[in-house]
Amino acid sequence: MTAPAIRLTALSKHFGAVHAVVDVDLQIDRGEVVALLGPNGAGKSTTLDLALGLSHPSTGTAHLFGGDPRAAIVDGRVGAMLQGGALLPDLTVAQTVALVASVHRAPLPVDEALERAGIRDLAARRVSKLSGGQLQRARFAVAVVSDPELLILDEPTAAMDVESRRDFWLSMRQFTAEGRTVVFATHYLDEADFFADRIVILGAGRVVADGTPAEVKSVVSGRMIRFEVDSGETDAAAAGIPQLPGIRSLDRRTDRFTLVTDDSDLTLRALLAAVPTARDIEITAHTMDDAFLALTAEAPLPHFTKAPHLTKAPHLTKAV
Amino acid sequence: MPYRYILLESLRQLRNVRALAFTFVIPLVMLLIFGSLYGSSGQQEHRSGLPWLIVTTVQMASYGGMLAALSQAFAITTERSIGWNRQLRITPLSGVGYLVSKVAAALLVALCTIIVLCAVSIVVLGARMDALHWFTAILGIWIGVIPFALIAVALGQYARPSFAQPLFTVVFLGMAILGGLWIPLEVMPTWVISIAQTVPSYWLNKLGQIGADGAGNALLPIGILAAWTVTLAALITWRYRRDAARA
Repeated sequence: MTAPAIRLTALSKHFGAVHAVVDVDLQIDRGEVVALLGPNGAGKSTTLDLALGLSHPSTGTAHLFGGDPRAAIVDGRVGAMLQGGALLPDLTVAQTVALVASVHRAPLPVDEALERAGIRDLAARRVSKLSGGQLQRARFAVAVVSDPELLILDEPTAAMDVESRRDFWLSMRQFTAEGRTVVFATHYLDEADFFADRIVILGAGRVVADGTPAEVKSVVSGRMIRFEVDSGETDAAAAGIPQLPGIRSLDRRTDRFTLVTDDSDLTLRALLAAVPTARDIEITAHTMDDAFLALTAEAPLPHFTKAPHLTKAPHLTKAV
Repeated sequence: MPYRYILLESLRQLRNVRALAFTFVIPLVMLLIFGSLYGSSGQQEHRSGLPWLIVTTVQMASYGGMLAALSQAFAITTERSIGWNRQLRITPLSGVGYLVSKVAAALLVALCTIIVLCAVSIVVLGARMDALHWFTAILGIWIGVIPFALIAVALGQYARPSFAQPLFTVVFLGMAILGGLWIPLEVMPTWVISIAQTVPSYWLNKLGQIGADGAGNALLPIGILAAWTVTLAALITWRYRRDAARA
């Protein structure tokens, strides 16, 4: 069997006391389309930099196609759009693509790279005159000019509005339809859900979940019930709540409680019976941010819950 | 070696007209002032017997070529700061390929400056010399500019954008004055002359003068400039590796 497109083994990177990436093991096979999902500072960009060999790991190894990342880059097998990577403002789009093409051994014709990025009409436009979305597409043209087997994209749609974001992912579909591998970092769940067939969630530098979009969404789904209790009755309430049906987790800050539940109707009926003094009740959809917080909280807060087995969904890390 | 990239990169720097105008105006104005000052009376420099106008032209062409090469440092710091180098690192371009492209661009820009300054001297100031001596003078200056192309790369590597301007000013003022590119060194105190013989700009000017004269030992200046080139190249390569390792 051929080597996987990306193989990260026990990969860690720290900058002084900051642990950006902690013991990441990740294998991405050829033809997979994988989203690296996580909030800012979760270690997505550092992980991608390490995978490309732009940054040296503190411990562990990163391989592309079974070898040194640099060798894969030299062979033109990898294209990338990175954060902090910019194009020269004084060149036109076509000149930029031609300049990068000139260092590759077997580049695509400039026109074809522009075609794949859907920006043939912008060939003669100066980079400094491009809109945010157009600039990202120009960078995409630069990334595909070597006709790579693997594309690594770090928040490729960051500067785009909703419509150009959609267009971007549609043109990407064409790229992956030919069996190529794509790994992209994002902090939009809908983007990951729309385009990826596997989602890896990073939190605080660790892989906290790895599964299909459906599996990941099930963690993110659910509702939150928030309420307050009179200060004299908080302990009694806290004792009773873990027994309520449907509850996935409980967070308590003095007399304010937050429950995450799979079935808010069922939980609420039982809650009102068990804690009749509950007031200011609020039910909201469980957001991606909440899921990140739940998945990435390293240790339960001292007052977090009395039922620690309910707090996380660690089963997902083994779900692939 | 990615020749096509080196060509495109050099032409790109040459197209950057705004930066070129900036580097070109000062030596041009100085050539016109000093050239008409020294040149009109047809005096000759007492040692080589070259007309002062030719001596001044070579000085200013050396100065212009040096300035043009050095100013590539700004292009490099700017490109680094906007993230272009990060983009280049995900291409097959090697560290050596990158450095060669930058040195080639600096040398091309310098050559154009040198040729234009000599042409101005001929057309406007009426400098006269046979074609072979113009050729060897220009070639001498151009070879002498090589260490400055490397200094530009080193400055571009070391300096942050905010610090590039003062560092650049110190380097090029020091080089211009100590090399005798602005004022003939004869008017300087002897200790300045002794220091001058260690800087590459002195030998750049010297090599140009030898080229114009068609006489004199070119081996000494070439040897010293080569030593500068090798030292700078070693420093830059070391720095580049360390940069890559630390990132």
